[in-house]
Amino acid sequence: MDGFLDLLTLPAVQRSAIGLLIAAVGLPIVGVFIIGLDIIAVRFAMMHVALLGIAVGLLIGVDPMLCGLLACAIAGAGVAPLAHRPTGLPGAMGLLMTFAIAAALLVLSVSGVNATGAFELLWGSILATRDVDLIILGALTVVVHVLFWRWRRQLALLLFDREIALCSGVAAGPLLLALLVVVAVAIGASIRLTGALLVDALTILPALGARNLGRSLRSMVLWAIALGVTGNSIGFVVALLLDQPPGPVLVLVAGTLTLLTYLIPEGARDAIDPGHRVDRGGDPVPAGQRL
Amino acid sequence: MTAAAITFSGVTCRYGRRTAVDGVDLDVAAGEHVALTGANGSGKTTLLRAALGLYPTTTGSITVGGRPAVTGAEWARRRRDVAWVPQRLAPGRFPLLVDELLDSGGNPVAARAAAAQLDVAGLGSRPLHTLSGGQLQRVFLARALGAVAAGARALFADEPTAALDFHGQEQVAALLAALPVTVVVVSHDRAMSRACDRVAEMAAGKLRLV
Ligand SMILES: Nc1ncnc2c1ncn2[C@@H]1O[C@H](COP(=O)(O)OP(=O)(O)OP(=O)(O)O)[C@@H](O)[C@H]1O
Ligand SMILES: [Mg+2]
Repeated sequence: MDGFLDLLTLPAVQRSAIGLLIAAVGLPIVGVFIIGLDIIAVRFAMMHVALLGIAVGLLIGVDPMLCGLLACAIAGAGVAPLAHRPTGLPGAMGLLMTFAIAAALLVLSVSGVNATGAFELLWGSILATRDVDLIILGALTVVVHVLFWRWRRQLALLLFDREIALCSGVAAGPLLLALLVVVAVAIGASIRLTGALLVDALTILPALGARNLGRSLRSMVLWAIALGVTGNSIGFVVALLLDQPPGPVLVLVAGTLTLLTYLIPEGARDAIDPGHRVDRGGDPVPAGQRL
Repeated sequence: MTAAAITFSGVTCRYGRRTAVDGVDLDVAAGEHVALTGANGSGKTTLLRAALGLYPTTTGSITVGGRPAVTGAEWARRRRDVAWVPQRLAPGRFPLLVDELLDSGGNPVAARAAAAQLDVAGLGSRPLHTLSGGQLQRVFLARALGAVAAGARALFADEPTAALDFHGQEQVAALLAALPVTVVVVSHDRAMSRACDRVAEMAAGKLRLV
């Protein structure tokens, strides 16, 4: 226990704890978007797209990470027009991944940069979090929250059904574009900041659990954040106590939490939903007249 | 609430090489109620979706209140002008609450009153995927009535009574008949045709009046 408290006084450990907490508040929302858009493969796609960007950056001598994120943003925007087909987005992720890796290998071979060096730039570790990483994570979290809370009604309709959204005056095209760019950049940046393994634990896993618990977009987002914060806190503490790398421990903890949500029977959701309010904003029909 | 005249002129829609709608001409006067019937696969849904910009026309034009729609802003206006009850009620890839759908029509108070009239009050905080087929249809209808109250000048209802019990079919026929806006309703049910001013029939993509 003393060892544990000693660890907590280390600046690196403190920074990674703060980083995980910020990530737990922001990234689960990205995960909910990912599940809503049915693009779980986005992480693999963005990994390779970022690598392509890094390779191009190394070739032309511009900051490789910046190029990596730019490549993610462009790729996210690029797949938006495919969204009107039912399989457009999920298919596009696979396509992106193979295209990007092929292009990246070509660029690396042309530039003569060795591939391992480029890959290393892409990889992060939560224990190596720097102050600038915390700022980037914080900024990402703010952007994701603003996007969600400002447009949550429109997003709920869009993720439910694109045509109903269109017929409800939602600017489906621009909103989808914003969503895809934010998701792509957030995933790209998180891989750099936390490592690829942790990205899943921070995004997809809480969102999958929330899908089982929440009954609306809003309640899913709240559940996802709750699961994210719980999983990260427990995982981080356990990793420190056992003196093991946080990545795998966090994934196992988050995975276990997610698995537990599958044990809840469907009908039981009503009782545990934090977003559940029977009387939302004044029912115009007096109770006595209800059938 | 003013009603809008609707004109279809020479409208053709294709899915690949299959012609689903084949040179349809139809004038619907402002405030007129038209029942659209015809065999399965004759092109009714495609025609209405084309008018909402949800499927492209190959040739021809559709105006509502004399206005064509080409630009994004014009389509946005078209979708405000025309309330819509889709045939294939979205199964919901993602959860949405009944109230959220009702509110999306633009007039939450009117939509909830319509929901009460259609016997689906009190379902507001349920996710749509937990409703029965008939309940879901009633909620989509209530949403469209909310859109009419919000200023839509026409209503396209694509088989709005397909999932309803007999009482519900009569109820909805009466509700639509009382609407002061232009109505095009796809229906195979006679109570609905009787409640309309005119019946138009589609066969293999072509339209004829009966
Ligand atoms: N997405 C699609 N892709 C290819 N063909 C389609 C598609 N949707 C409809 N069709 C075809 O277009 C034709 C017209 O379909 P539509 O849905 O407009 O008919 P409908 O009159 O509404 O039929 P129903 O009474 O069964 O609703 C049919 O032959 C149908 O098979
Ligand atoms: Mg149809």
